[in-house]
Amino acid sequence: EDAAEESNISAELIAHRKRLVDEWNAWRTRVKAEMAEEQNRLGKKVESEADKQGEEEKEEIE
Amino acid sequence: MRPILLQGHERSLTQIKFNREGDLLFSCSKDHIINVWFAHNGERLGTYDGHNGTVWTIDVDSESRFLVSGSADNTLRLWSVQTGKCLYRWEFPTAVKRVAWSEDDSQVVCITEQRMGYQCAVRIFDIDREGDGTNQSKEPSSIFYPIGSKATLCSFAHVPNLILMGHESGKVALFDAKTGDEVLNNERAHMDVVTDLQLSPDRSYFITSSKDKTARLHETKTLTVLKTYTTETPLNSAAIAPGKPYVLLGGGQDAMSVTTTSLRQGKFETRFWHKIFEEEVGRVKGHFGPVNTIAVSPKGDCYASGGEDGFVRVHHFDESYFRAKPYGDLEIEE
Repeated sequence: EDAAEESNISAELIAHRKRLVDEWNAWRTRVKAEMAEEQNRLGKKVESEADKQGEEEKEEIE
Repeated sequence: MRPILLQGHERSLTQIKFNREGDLLFSCSKDHIINVWFAHNGERLGTYDGHNGTVWTIDVDSESRFLVSGSADNTLRLWSVQTGKCLYRWEFPTAVKRVAWSEDDSQVVCITEQRMGYQCAVRIFDIDREGDGTNQSKEPSSIFYPIGSKATLCSFAHVPNLILMGHESGKVALFDAKTGDEVLNNERAHMDVVTDLQLSPDRSYFITSSKDKTARLHETKTLTVLKTYTTETPLNSAAIAPGKPYVLLGGGQDAMSVTTTSLRQGKFETRFWHKIFEEEVGRVKGHFGPVNTIAVSPKGDCYASGGEDGFVRVHHFDESYFRAKPYGDLEIEE
């Protein structure tokens, strides 16, 4: 009976740890996606500024 | 684990730092000296000589080209890593307690102490990387004075222009680097002085240690506490191990209070905790006094601890460390 209870507890513990890891991994996936998006946004901003400059130069040429 | 004892400091260590490749280890101490060591064999490569007081803090840029240091002699100094020469010095009314490089190596943030009628100040300097590095501007690009509890720790946060800070009251906060506005705070991050703050490689989360005997993992963007590691001793340092789901904690009761506390509290070990399960997985003994500072190599192959006893110990993980899966086969994201 004791042994049965013990294995029960460890099963619970394993399930608990599995849940903690799942939560952590889900959070990491979300944060990594957010950061990639943020970088994309900053990257685009830099690009669009460069584009604008390019356009201005073109105008001068005209 | 094979420890290497680095003997080159005569007084207690205040901070240690690996360079990005993890082949060099920088250490600073109350003996006014900064040393650099080869991580793989503990051989001393050189020293950075010039400070006239306790060197509280150091940080090396990602190219291992420039080193910055802050000292009780009220100066912030820029050094050439390779030649050991001091390239520039900034002087302040009070001691420099913490320095940190920005992710792109273009800026340095530092905290000066609140003392003798001077407020605690946070300054950000633009570092001129052209030429030999001696052509720096004397004036900071921004300066602000955090009100309320004294700031003890600073770092650049996950996005440019945000400064992450730890405070004496236990508060952690995000400040706008340009305006000095407190953007976000967690007043109750800790119940006592925050003693160390180290970010994850992508800066999306960070670990803090405190005299309140706990270390905590926080999300940088929201300052939400993700994990808490509760020990039985005041903590001086906490580090995140890359490649393994561990955090390393160090501390110990100082000599003054050892007689008034239990034996266990006085033990000066580096503790390994499981980052996700908040459970202790092991301890490494060695120091004869409190562990003041811990750093893990960015490659994750070794770690170093600096003690009140004046020693730095470098531990290279052996194969069993990399094989060990103390809690089964669960795949954990970095």
